Amino acid sequence: MTAIRPLPYADPAHLAAHQFLVEEAALLDAADYESWLALLTEDIRYVMPVRVTTARGAGFDSLADMGHFDEDMYALRKRVQRLATDHAWTEDPPSRTRHFITNVRTFRTADAEWLVESALLMFRSRGDTREAELLSAGRSDRLRDSGDGLRLARREITVDESVLRTQNLAVFL
Amino acid sequence: MLDLAAVLADVRRGMIPAHVYADPEVFALERDRLFARSWVFLAHESEIPDPGDYVVRRVLADSFIVARDETGVVRVMFNMCLHRGMQVCRAELGNASHFRCPYHAWTYRNDGRLAGLPFHGEAYGGEDGFARAGQSLLPAPSMDTHNGLIFISLDADAPPLRDYLGDFAFYLDFYTRQSPAGIELRGPQRWRVKANWKIGAENFAGDSYHTPHTHASVVDIGLFREPKASKRKEGALYVAGPGAGTTYKLPPGGDFAEQLRYVGYPDEMHPAMTASWSASQRELVGGSGFMVSAATLFPNLSFVHNWPQIDEAGTVAPFISLRQWQPVSEQETEVLSWFAVDAAAPEEFKRDSYKAYLMCFGSSGMFEQDDVENWVSITAMAAGSMARRLNLNSRMGLSSSGDPIKPPMARDSFAGPGVAYQGFGEFNQRHWLRQWADCLDREPATAAAIDLGHRAVRGAAR
Repeated sequence: MTAIRPLPYADPAHLAAHQFLVEEAALLDAADYESWLALLTEDIRYVMPVRVTTARGAGFDSLADMGHFDEDMYALRKRVQRLATDHAWTEDPPSRTRHFITNVRTFRTADAEWLVESALLMFRSRGDTREAELLSAGRSDRLRDSGDGLRLARREITVDESVLRTQNLAVFL
Repeated sequence: MLDLAAVLADVRRGMIPAHVYADPEVFALERDRLFARSWVFLAHESEIPDPGDYVVRRVLADSFIVARDETGVVRVMFNMCLHRGMQVCRAELGNASHFRCPYHAWTYRNDGRLAGLPFHGEAYGGEDGFARAGQSLLPAPSMDTHNGLIFISLDADAPPLRDYLGDFAFYLDFYTRQSPAGIELRGPQRWRVKANWKIGAENFAGDSYHTPHTHASVVDIGLFREPKASKRKEGALYVAGPGAGTTYKLPPGGDFAEQLRYVGYPDEMHPAMTASWSASQRELVGGSGFMVSAATLFPNLSFVHNWPQIDEAGTVAPFISLRQWQPVSEQETEVLSWFAVDAAAPEEFKRDSYKAYLMCFGSSGMFEQDDVENWVSITAMAAGSMARRLNLNSRMGLSSSGDPIKPPMARDSFAGPGVAYQGFGEFNQRHWLRQWADCLDREPATAAAIDLGHRAVRGAAR
């Protein structure tokens, strides 16, 4: 965790970062994944470590060498391409999702990127009577100014369950 | 009310009463007759490399600590304090010299021996009231390992694991002994799906028929070239011992090294594979031209080995996954999915293989996503009344008289043990289901309860 203080909420950088996350969430909820990919840098790293239950003194609560996601642009593009085929059964009929983004804090870093931390609650409903799924996570993002707006260069998703109660991660967080 | 004899008779003729995939009475029988006896996978030795390392794993509702003790011996202990029954370890992994129960501070060494019992003298009057000497957490009734895979059975009279594995050990080596160093296991990813546990086990055992359609999307996007129907039907299905699996046909004419190269194993890994595998194992790859893909070891441990394209440059990287279908209820399963890789492989290969795994299998895998969608749907349908009027046809590959519609493969075209058929068929699922039926046909396993620390004096019990 960063020792520095977050930018004031009225800071234009924070406002821009917050708006980026909200608009990104809107694209994900609309399943507009091509537009979502356009918000990512070519060198994107998109990771979601496996969380584990450990004793308080263990010094770790996620696996260092195993994630639910550990993606580069190639892998993310393949996922998006797959969802666009006629054969991605798990999302056809599609899930109804709502990404709730809150607790946004923006930090300046030593380089040109901003560190943006947020909390995510994703509601996912499939079919008519299936129990809806909830996924709670923290996100630690690196945003970079591309000259043509902000781009997401890195996202680390800290999921709050060790055993996911969702059928799969055919959705983005 | 369940007519068990009728259900088992149907299953044995290849007709599967659909309700078995969502039936609480069947689930209770599976718990008492199948999981109370079978060898069940818990962990791999590479997950607990150092003294004091432990993981906590379950067999249905029973929690076990799998620990490496101070002398390096792997121990599997029932995770229940001998005093009031509290879980003595509530983390899922870590390193500890002792496990101390939070309730009354009874403390156990990491080999299970009871090391601390507060106020033994004052509270119990010493050894006479509670025999502390020699007490330990209940060990798993049977425990055995093969290629570093740690299995337990709740049956103290289980046969030796190697005897149980039989001819499946031949195929197990492709997944778990690519070099003398063995595998390292990473993970597991864990998630819960509203699907009956049997469906995944059967699918991995032999359902090459689903691959071209269920997984059409991964062919569409050029991630993995093999699943298309024209290639998939050239693969061989085998049953061997308590296991069964699928293979892909490799390009014609390649020798052992060329076939390994085709699926993405770099040349520097070939000498260890050559040293690690027998002549017949190498012949299956090099001469017969088959590479293992999915498999299931009865009851609920599955394997998969695929070789997708992992970057724009077209790099093909193979990966191995072990996965367990841990039953939660008749309609829910916890999936544990591990990434496995040769411990001696180059770091670059491990990185590529890990990427290949994440793209294809596990909680976010592009293959797995569509599998689970099917299995959840089957389970939901199987729970209704109409499902009791339908016996699903699992006779693919058999004529009406019950003979295979084609002969099994000869040993000179498929060098592995067991019985193999080329092309589509449900031989393997029936093989799995016959074992399932045989388990459910037995009387429930029973074991006498232990009076803990109490030496009964005749006539003096209160």
